[in-house]
Amino acid sequence: MNRLLATVAAAAVLGLASGAWAQETIKIGVSGPFTGGSSSMGVSMRDGVRLAADEINAAGGVMGKKIELVERDEQAKNEVGVQVAQELINKEKVVATVGYINTGVALASQRFYQEAQIPVLNNVATGTQITKQFEPPESKNNYVFRFSANDTIQSAMIVDEAIGRSHFKKPAILADSTNYGQLGRADLEAALAKKGVKAVAVEKFNIGDTDMTPQLLRAKEGGADVVLTYGIGPELAQIANGMAKLGWKVPLVGSWTLSMASFIDTAGPNGDGARMPQTFIEDPTTPKRKAFIDAYHKKFGGDKMPSPVSAAQGYDSLYVLKAAMEQAKSTDGPKVREALENLNAKVEGVVQTYDKPFSAKDHEAVSYSVPVFGIVKAGRVVYANEEDKKNPVRAKQGAGGVAPQ
Amino acid sequence: MQILLQLIASGIAVGMIYAAIAFGYQLTFATSKTLNFGQGEALMLGALVGLTLTSVMGYWAMIPLVLLFGFVQGAVVERLGVRPSIKIKSEFGWIMATIALGIIFKNLAEIVWGREALPFPSPLPSDAYVIGEVRILPVELLIVVGALAMMLAVEFFNRRSIWGKAVRATANDRDAAGLMGIDTSRIITLSYAVSSMTAALAGVLVAPRITAIDANMGAVLGLKAFAVAIIGGLESGLGVIVGGILLGVAETTTGYYISTGYKDVPGLVLLLLVLMVKPSGLFGKATIKKV
Repeated sequence: MNRLLATVAAAAVLGLASGAWAQETIKIGVSGPFTGGSSSMGVSMRDGVRLAADEINAAGGVMGKKIELVERDEQAKNEVGVQVAQELINKEKVVATVGYINTGVALASQRFYQEAQIPVLNNVATGTQITKQFEPPESKNNYVFRFSANDTIQSAMIVDEAIGRSHFKKPAILADSTNYGQLGRADLEAALAKKGVKAVAVEKFNIGDTDMTPQLLRAKEGGADVVLTYGIGPELAQIANGMAKLGWKVPLVGSWTLSMASFIDTAGPNGDGARMPQTFIEDPTTPKRKAFIDAYHKKFGGDKMPSPVSAAQGYDSLYVLKAAMEQAKSTDGPKVREALENLNAKVEGVVQTYDKPFSAKDHEAVSYSVPVFGIVKAGRVVYANEEDKKNPVRAKQGAGGVAPQ
Repeated sequence: MQILLQLIASGIAVGMIYAAIAFGYQLTFATSKTLNFGQGEALMLGALVGLTLTSVMGYWAMIPLVLLFGFVQGAVVERLGVRPSIKIKSEFGWIMATIALGIIFKNLAEIVWGREALPFPSPLPSDAYVIGEVRILPVELLIVVGALAMMLAVEFFNRRSIWGKAVRATANDRDAAGLMGIDTSRIITLSYAVSSMTAALAGVLVAPRITAIDANMGAVLGLKAFAVAIIGGLESGLGVIVGGILLGVAETTTGYYISTGYKDVPGLVLLLLVLMVKPSGLFGKATIKKV
């Protein structure tokens, strides 16, 4: 009996001790694809988050505690994403999770955070639905926040750039057959209709397609003067290479995936001139951005971020989370969510300065005024418009995640 | 007219890839009435090994080594997956075994080369040739010429060399060939080795066209090539070429004239039609199986 008591006591002490030790750090989950086709975005995002965590810890942490990142590779697979979410919530007991590159994985996983009342800070995925999955009044509170430019904004920007600013008259749309491509295509068609323009060709292709001849010939014969794209890197490169093969050169304007390394590297010179919305361009236009870019390359090497947008949004998301925890004076999920929705401190990020980025109704940090156009030049994404470069500081104006009327 | 010609040219380039892989199905079927369902994975392995070797010795010099690799890999598949089930006269064992080996090869490739798509440097200039008004990429020409040359070489081997004669004898009647002193199980190993060798070569031929390759590159190609083998007939080398070109051209022309969303439909319709009208394939000989 004595022995049993002693064991129980020892276990209790150990339990207390490990509990006390766990209090020393603040555990934050990082969920993204670190291997596979979208890993350039996942790894850049993770590196951005790591950089922010290191900086925060070096400056004393959050409320005197160090941040501990719990990184998990969900391989861009829905089922793995769900497992990772459950592990992070139930086993690792994270206080919040940042990440998600793929909309499908985000939609499948974030319900577990919603149920556990733990905030999720989406920092790369762009599907419009992501922040709308648990909106009031159906759910009492929404625990999903976003730091990227969603597809509604991007498609409106693409059409504004192609039809509004560049005065093209006959756009063709090439979109892949996945949810990403087809929802984007629908958004593009709607945005074109608003301008009173109809696409001369709307074409589809599959992931893994290597021959784009029929799609491009249809666009060419339709008299297209610009090609609008919604797809991912490898197939976008096939489009650029296919255009070169057919000796037909019209501008490519498309979603931010035209900045993927797999597009830029595979298309090579054929990809030059492609334009896409970007929340961040690797150009030290402000002291804050210069510090970020220098620190990134010092820590991770190289002279070109695989995905600058993902790195910047990842970096910013952790700083905003830190500000919210400090305001809440707690890591308790509901309190942090409330602080995120009523953030008093201005957070100077590299994408924008976050001044009341969220409200109870608006969980999108990026409004139409934030992204700029990037253009591919000699293997890098640079500012497409000089005036954007001259006015580099961006801020949210009006509601996030919606196109101007 | 110019557009139709362009579509046909692009369709032939795509179709010859299918044909080159389907040719490998046909080789093993002829001798052993079995197929390597890991043919797509053999192609993928050839391409990835080729990529690694290219960085050391350049594109053209690595081709013989890739052929050797494919040869050995095919022999391994036969020994591990096919021979045991032929020995016990199992009707289906080899199906499971070759599929399983394909999965194992794919996972191995993911471990060795990672899950990223790797860029494959092109050995040829990227400017298209203009023939008439039809534009063709040098790498597309490479596929057509390379695939045809490979098939001719194998046919020549089968017709002229003593080993090839043994292969044909085994294909005609395995039991009789065995009675004549031909080591038929060795011939079957040989046919698997040659079959994977052709797939590995097809891999390094298509890799510069695909431009970025990964462990999954063989899946879709292997499946389409299987359809081609069924359409053309599993008994006929000419059949797979015609079947491949038919499927490739059907895909590009449907994409242009009907809708790019329905690009894959005619291939399936063609497959169903052939199975209904002439189940042994367009060029296949109807055989009666005696039990």
